[in-house]
Amino acid sequence: MSAPITIAIPSKGRLKEETLKRMEAAGYPVEPPKDARTYRTVVANHPNVEVAFLSASEIARELGNGSIDLGVTGEDLVREGLPDSENRVTRLAQLGFGHADVVVAVPEAWFDVATMADLGLVAADFRHRHGRRLRIATKYWRLTQTHFSQTHGIQLYRIIESLGATEGAPAAGQADVIVDITSTGSTLRANFLKVLDDGVILQSQACLFAPKRDGADAARKQAIDAFAAALTP
Amino acid sequence: MNALRSFSARADIETILSQLGAERLDVPVLQPADPFLDTAGEELRRRIFLSESETGETLCLRPEFTIPVCLQHIGAGETGHRRYGYVGTVFRQRRAGGNEFLQAGIEDIGDADSARADARSLGDALAFLKALGVTGKTVTMLGDQAVFAAVVSGLGLPQSWTVRLSHAFGDRQTLEAALDALARPVPAPDVPADIREPAEARDRAALVNALSMRLRIAGLENSGGRDAGEIADRLLARFDAAEIAPDETALATLRAFLAITAPLAAAADALKAFATGNGLDMDAAIAGFAARENEMDKAGVDTSTVSYDAAFGRALDYYTALVYEITTPDGLVLAGGGRYDRLLTMIGAKSAVPGVGFSVWLDRVAAFSGGAV
Repeated sequence: MSAPITIAIPSKGRLKEETLKRMEAAGYPVEPPKDARTYRTVVANHPNVEVAFLSASEIARELGNGSIDLGVTGEDLVREGLPDSENRVTRLAQLGFGHADVVVAVPEAWFDVATMADLGLVAADFRHRHGRRLRIATKYWRLTQTHFSQTHGIQLYRIIESLGATEGAPAAGQADVIVDITSTGSTLRANFLKVLDDGVILQSQACLFAPKRDGADAARKQAIDAFAAALTP
Repeated sequence: MNALRSFSARADIETILSQLGAERLDVPVLQPADPFLDTAGEELRRRIFLSESETGETLCLRPEFTIPVCLQHIGAGETGHRRYGYVGTVFRQRRAGGNEFLQAGIEDIGDADSARADARSLGDALAFLKALGVTGKTVTMLGDQAVFAAVVSGLGLPQSWTVRLSHAFGDRQTLEAALDALARPVPAPDVPADIREPAEARDRAALVNALSMRLRIAGLENSGGRDAGEIADRLLARFDAAEIAPDETALATLRAFLAITAPLAAAADALKAFATGNGLDMDAAIAGFAARENEMDKAGVDTSTVSYDAAFGRALDYYTALVYEITTPDGLVLAGGGRYDRLLTMIGAKSAVPGVGFSVWLDRVAAFSGGAV
């Protein structure tokens, strides 16, 4: 038998529950850890599959390091947390839960701004009018830069790091616009913010990822493919 | 490859700088990151080496010399005309290849005679390369953002077009995209009735009132960002624009301008012909252009190797007029320079200070001239 396959799944919350449910339905029931304090366990009827419980953002990092064979986590965490993720991991399946969009949101009262192009014009003469660059509050540095700079050619802005309650940043005077995650949009609306027409940066959901690597042996590859196929909704 | 080793000694560079009459300035390798990110934008973040001090200040390894030299000039409270020469390593992130590059150059700050200072800058850059042993043929490409600005303003385009075009200038792809976008009419934005009615009636006071109310409800009234007046003005411009067909003639004229290339000796005439042919008043910009060329002749610059490209610029909003690049016949950039009259106030000077400067890529020069100096 070849070396075991390690799959990392989120260690808590809804992502964990949904993943366990999905694995059970796919014929890969995860055994509860023998000791509630440990973070490793096995799959009942697949002795060659090991399960590691990790935090969702650690899973992104371990996928990048190639220290696990498979990982379930939010796509936003992989695209944001892992530089050059397109070339380092493969998305094997979208799992259909954990939906959330990473979006660009501006104050509702900015009736002159509906698109990224409009925002680009505001950014272009922002310094001239206000003596500083347009500020964007976000914890998604990488996604923001890619969307603004590479996709829309907007350079003249500054990112303000925000690790929580980002949607409150404009009213607090910390930032002019935000890039944040939203699932229903209700928090944005409650804070009088609106998503730009072309402001959806990423439609994220829980996905199954594998590191890109060469030279995996055929048996392991087969086992990984079988698992991915079983998990695909 | 270490270019300093290729040049017989760093002292040689210092000798060249002093022969060109520049005073030597050393600037720290570790610099505050904000002035770079503020002027060049966040995209730069991926290309510089960032660090943080214990007190939380964001620092970076200097990615270039112009900003540190200008900061030093401002910090020292200098008010007169100074010419600073520098040599040292700059640091830039790249996916492949090395991250350290050796640069030397001269920043000429505070000379009110910009034609003379521009000519001296290009003359110094060429003399610098020659002193480093670049004996093969080089090509100099010259651009001028002030001429582009004169065309845009002469065409009488709406303010929003002017902003968009002048920011795109220097990046051919972005500029093309901007021109394409301007060719399409943009419908007025879909807004609720309390905003639409005053906007359609062009009742600015009522519109500002309605917007103020919205901002107040959202808690944004005194947040220090965009206010009702600014939003109202842009919104009214959008309603105006939706009723005006895009100006095809203006776009065609702009495209014709951007296609102009000429040897420097013929460039001023080409610009005059263009201005006359299109009924544009570009006299001031063309006079400045010609005055600079005249100064180049006086300074002994061999202008036969210099050519003008109307579309050549740098997509950084602190470059205001002259930009140039000295390349090998294969297109490898050995030196680059330009005028940055907007930079010093952007990074803290209390009043406008003119500046022009150039940097030589010593590693490339060493490779091009075979390391023989």
